[in-house]
Amino acid sequence: MNSKLSTSLFVTLGLLVLLIGAMAVAGCTDNAKKTGELPPLQKQSIKVSGSTTVLPIAQKAAEAYMATHPNADIQISGGGSGVGVQQIGEKTVDIGMSSRDLKATENTKYPDLIKHIVAKDGIAIVVNPKNEIKGIQAAAVADIYAGKITSWTQVPGAHMPDTNNQIVVIGRDSASGTREFFDTHANGILKGTPPTKSMLEKNSNGAVTQTIAQTPGAIGYVSIGFVDKSVKALPIWWNDPSKAVEPTKENVLSGAYPINRELFMFTNGQPTGLAKDYIDFILSPDGQKIAVSEGYVSLI
Amino acid sequence: MDLNTGTKQDPLSPRTRRFPQTHTTAQLRERKEKAIKTVWFLTALSAILAILFILLFLLRDSLPIFQQVGIEQFLSGTTWYPSGSPPEYGIFVLIVGTVLVTLGAMVFAVPLSIGCAIYIAELAPLWAKNILKPAIELLAGIPSVVYGFFGLIVLTDVIRTTFDIPTGETWLAGSILLGIMALPTIISISEDAISMVPKEYKEGSLAIGATRWQTISQVLIPSALSGITAAVILGFGRAIGETMAVLMVTGNAAIIPDPIWNILSPVRTLTGTLGIEMGEVAVGSDHYAALFGLAVVLLAITLIINTVAVVILTNIRQRQAGSYSGKGAIMQNLTGRLRRPLIICGLLSVVTAIIVIAPLTIALPVLVVLGAAYFFKDRLKPHTSEQVAFCFITAAAIIVVLILVILLQDIVIHGLPALSWEFLTQSPKDLGRAGGIFPAIVGTLYLVFGAILFALPFGVGAAIYLIEYTKEGNVTRIIRTTVDLLNGTPSIVFGLFGLAFLVYFLKFGVSLIAGQITLGLMVLPTIIRATEESLKNIPQSLREGSLALGATRWQTIYRVVLPPAIPGIMTGTILSLGRAAGETAPIMFTAVVFSQRYLPSSLTDPVMALPYHLYILATNVPGSSTNKYGTALVLLLLVIGIYAVAIMMRSHFQKKLRG
Repeated sequence: MNSKLSTSLFVTLGLLVLLIGAMAVAGCTDNAKKTGELPPLQKQSIKVSGSTTVLPIAQKAAEAYMATHPNADIQISGGGSGVGVQQIGEKTVDIGMSSRDLKATENTKYPDLIKHIVAKDGIAIVVNPKNEIKGIQAAAVADIYAGKITSWTQVPGAHMPDTNNQIVVIGRDSASGTREFFDTHANGILKGTPPTKSMLEKNSNGAVTQTIAQTPGAIGYVSIGFVDKSVKALPIWWNDPSKAVEPTKENVLSGAYPINRELFMFTNGQPTGLAKDYIDFILSPDGQKIAVSEGYVSLI
Repeated sequence: MDLNTGTKQDPLSPRTRRFPQTHTTAQLRERKEKAIKTVWFLTALSAILAILFILLFLLRDSLPIFQQVGIEQFLSGTTWYPSGSPPEYGIFVLIVGTVLVTLGAMVFAVPLSIGCAIYIAELAPLWAKNILKPAIELLAGIPSVVYGFFGLIVLTDVIRTTFDIPTGETWLAGSILLGIMALPTIISISEDAISMVPKEYKEGSLAIGATRWQTISQVLIPSALSGITAAVILGFGRAIGETMAVLMVTGNAAIIPDPIWNILSPVRTLTGTLGIEMGEVAVGSDHYAALFGLAVVLLAITLIINTVAVVILTNIRQRQAGSYSGKGAIMQNLTGRLRRPLIICGLLSVVTAIIVIAPLTIALPVLVVLGAAYFFKDRLKPHTSEQVAFCFITAAAIIVVLILVILLQDIVIHGLPALSWEFLTQSPKDLGRAGGIFPAIVGTLYLVFGAILFALPFGVGAAIYLIEYTKEGNVTRIIRTTVDLLNGTPSIVFGLFGLAFLVYFLKFGVSLIAGQITLGLMVLPTIIRATEESLKNIPQSLREGSLALGATRWQTIYRVVLPPAIPGIMTGTILSLGRAAGETAPIMFTAVVFSQRYLPSSLTDPVMALPYHLYILATNVPGSSTNKYGTALVLLLLVIGIYAVAIMMRSHFQKKLRG
């Protein structure tokens, strides 16, 4: 009897501790959140989801907006452009973010979606910093990705010390908006040629940057906002090596660097209320400044 | 005797004479028993229902691609190029990739984990055992995203520099990483199985003069074989269903390694394809349907391998017990006579393979070692072979601990600078690069506890029904097959199923409850299997004794069978807790947001969660490195905290068992 008593006592105690802990945690936070703010009845909330490329802009803009509008609650999540379009089409969110335009099937399934362009995104060709190359021809990049050039010795100016100069080709997954632009768009690089089968596919800008930073012979493409000291972004030339254009925000804005695409937010029908205010904020000069601070290119 | 009523009555009971219309206590008790049995039967059905729904949903969404491309072309086509014109959907290369990586993972994990399990169960001193078992379960609590990044940053670099190849993203990296992820499952459940072997077997064997190693290898392991196989199947399911980690380290190049045993070639798995393309694909398009077709094929592969494993296990068990029947006896005779020639053929083919594959410098030493092992196997004194075996086993345990230490030090060293009171109690700011992760901590706790609350009753109930109320027959086989199938389902398929069924169809929206149910479904198989194994280990004599004393079936289960099984159930719960806390894919589409202002106030609100926060920081927020590791460290500490409570409870029950 004694052991049975002590067992149940022990279990109850354990559960009680957990319960109290959970309540304390919940209680503490709710109080901390609610002091100094208007009662929750007046809070408006919208849900935003979709492309993880657009997410940084949406997040920073939401933070800035919520700082000046204490009643607003903007909930942001990722999941990908496809999921974003599906969710706005099914109306489970208020705004769907996408880094690519609607596909034909999405257009027929959800005819009421309205497109808002929120920023531009430049795509930079990056290599490992140890590579001695200073600039590269767009056609050479296309040949590398198509598998026609496999060694850095075949690219003028390129040299990887201490390696056998083999090129490691890094790309994105086949459903990525970035890749679609790179592969097929008129302003992209491959312009329709299929990339080599031995191209390694990564699922995000961050992963591409990480791989290139630690693989000496690698080449890849990322959003300009992701270029940091761990990779080297290459100036691109088309016909004249002396006229190589660097992948910077200014060059994208001026049009000198044509490898860029637009980022979208979709709403189901015309936006109203908090969604409208939020999108207007992003399109305003303050909002565009936020986009630029994250490494994207403003529309104005 | 009362002639007026037609009911069966006890003529001698004074109660029935005074109240002729009431039921006897016996009838009431019988009704209660039936009711309880039905309840457990329904919980067992829940596993079938879950897998049925998932299959239906997968088939429905994948039908367009099968209609368009045809099953044969889909399965045998060698080009996967959905963004081409025309798009090509051939998944043969992906199937090969999955099989190769999972096979490699099992080759890496199974010997290591069985060796480690033997070490913990039989060889380890008490202090080592108390540290090792929780430490290995800790491995299960490391989020898959963290494994992925460890693989990307550390493992691939090591492989690249060791083998002097252009990139370390290879089949080898994928196998090692998946093997490490499967280790805790296999070790924990095998160790439970080995320690539950009745003491009499071990003592009997030692008494007739066998050495400890002979006892372990000839008596303990064969009797624990059912548990070990369950452990390996669970580990295999974990390996084949892992999405996030594998897509970061295998390179995702859709090629077949050339030659086929080139472990340094990049590969692409089915789950990696699902994980990498699912979020961006246009809903309703052919590409979307093709991805669902992938998931169906993956389930089919899991089903085939599970069935093969069960057949092999039954065969081994029959051979042990000598209980062949009919056809089986003829097969037994045949295989008995063919055994020796078969073994010789097998050895010869292994030798040829090694000579062909590896360069001479490696092949010769390996062959010498193998030859020596075969030659000396029966010529060594039992004492010497015991020492050799124990060397290997201790080495296995040391390797596992080393892996854990390497993983942990990576997280701790990089994450410690980020820890501060502010980090733990504030909301994230500046895209997560500053501020804290408090709402994510709360969200993870809600999700994990909700998932366990959902999965425990269904899981334990299903296991009780399977073991206690039924004999091995067709129904139990079907239930067990579906549970194994559920176990092999990739985590991202759970996420998609949760999205389509819970979020859209049942209109829960992206909410806490959707996430809890999805996570609960994901951990259900682990709990069912672990509970089953621990119930199976309760000796039949206990049940018979209790029933002989007049207890009902439910009383027997509740008072006699369940209490000693609780440590095993706790192991399953612990493993599930760790997995639920660290998974990203199931909650990505069903429950989480990257940021919100308020904490969730009801079950229908979305939540923030640590693994998802980590995932977004790692993949899409440049410059967040410290906070990324800080989040991983906090998640780890959270899991340790939950484990600590669970482990305390488990050791309490174990102490009571020992008396």
